[in-house]
Amino acid sequence: MNFTPELPFDGGRVRPLTYDDVDALFEIYQHPEIPGQHAPDNKDNLTRMVDLSVQMAATQRGMMWLLEVGDEGSREVQGMVSAYDWQPSQLRTMLRVDGLPQLSSEHRAAALNTCLEFMASKYHLRNFGYQWIAGQDEAIKTLLENCGFTLSATLRDGWRTGTESFADVAQFYKLLDVAKPVPGRLGEQDNPGQNLDKSFSGSAVNNGGGEA
Amino acid sequence: MNWNFSAGNFSLRLPVTDQDGDALYELMSVQAQVDHLPRQAMTVPAQALDELRRMAMRFETREAAFWLVEGMYDKQLVARIGIQKINWMQLAAQLQWELYSAIELPELQEIFPAVANFIFDELNLHRLEMRLREGSEKHEALLKGLGFTFEGILPAQVEYEGDSVNMAVWSLLSSDRRA
Repeated sequence: MNFTPELPFDGGRVRPLTYDDVDALFEIYQHPEIPGQHAPDNKDNLTRMVDLSVQMAATQRGMMWLLEVGDEGSREVQGMVSAYDWQPSQLRTMLRVDGLPQLSSEHRAAALNTCLEFMASKYHLRNFGYQWIAGQDEAIKTLLENCGFTLSATLRDGWRTGTESFADVAQFYKLLDVAKPVPGRLGEQDNPGQNLDKSFSGSAVNNGGGEA
Repeated sequence: MNWNFSAGNFSLRLPVTDQDGDALYELMSVQAQVDHLPRQAMTVPAQALDELRRMAMRFETREAAFWLVEGMYDKQLVARIGIQKINWMQLAAQLQWELYSAIELPELQEIFPAVANFIFDELNLHRLEMRLREGSEKHEALLKGLGFTFEGILPAQVEYEGDSVNMAVWSLLSSDRRA
């Protein structure tokens, strides 16, 4: 079964992780964006990470995409988009982009928006959070605001960077102004559940969501 | 490590599953005492037993610890105070409390320092936060009185009775106590 879709965006695409991506994942994690995050010195856990990406999506706990830039035939892996702390009943999730240094702001924003829109239409999520850790690139905050996110709180020392060092966490949120889905059993209201291989109209209205 | 301790005229102890059901039910069956979480008040005593079992399981995995706060002499339950979502990597935890209406700032100023000392000095955590329903004025005033800092409002965090509830975040750091 396929839980994580391939999604095109302007200038590239996001796609599910496969075992062939271990080298690309290793390269991404050699350039940690978050303060205190250590670069791994081997690839042992990255195969497990591919397994986890499938399990997370299947159990609606998270979703991970590889971010590729370029056209078919010349695609280059430049990062990852992740949804985590997915709370299906609370209609919310957190998002994160890990990019290589060459990932442009335009492609970062386009990939983020594409994944956000997919999770909103498919799973009726209305609330998307993003944590910016003090020490990360300041330009990411501007990018988030341009994408419609708003700074809601600053969690003091919310991220541990070392044995006794901490960084503040700026907590951004984007709330979608859409009606909540009408509760229904799996299979009702043309809702195909999690399995993307089943028919799916892509319409929030047809899948139990009301008009905004 | 001894998880039970005293604080002025109060004693704090971990609950006993087959003993504390009635007292916990009495505390948590009053809507005004759980509104700030937000949570629906208990309506049948079996819910208190279920809660006690969950508390025990979460304590076993050191994911949470809840204390029953009793009068030192009359042994009457006056509050439940706990920490949950303990993150041993980030050295952080979330504080939660349910208080009888008689518990106000003077009583909490007697009780809470012992709790904070245990969390910061014994458990070596660094950040303690409380997330509570936006507009819970009484509780926010108590947090302010205890030295917590307001950090912001997290929007639409909980779906509760058909509404999306915003949660206010307050925090206390181990370094705040020395400041």
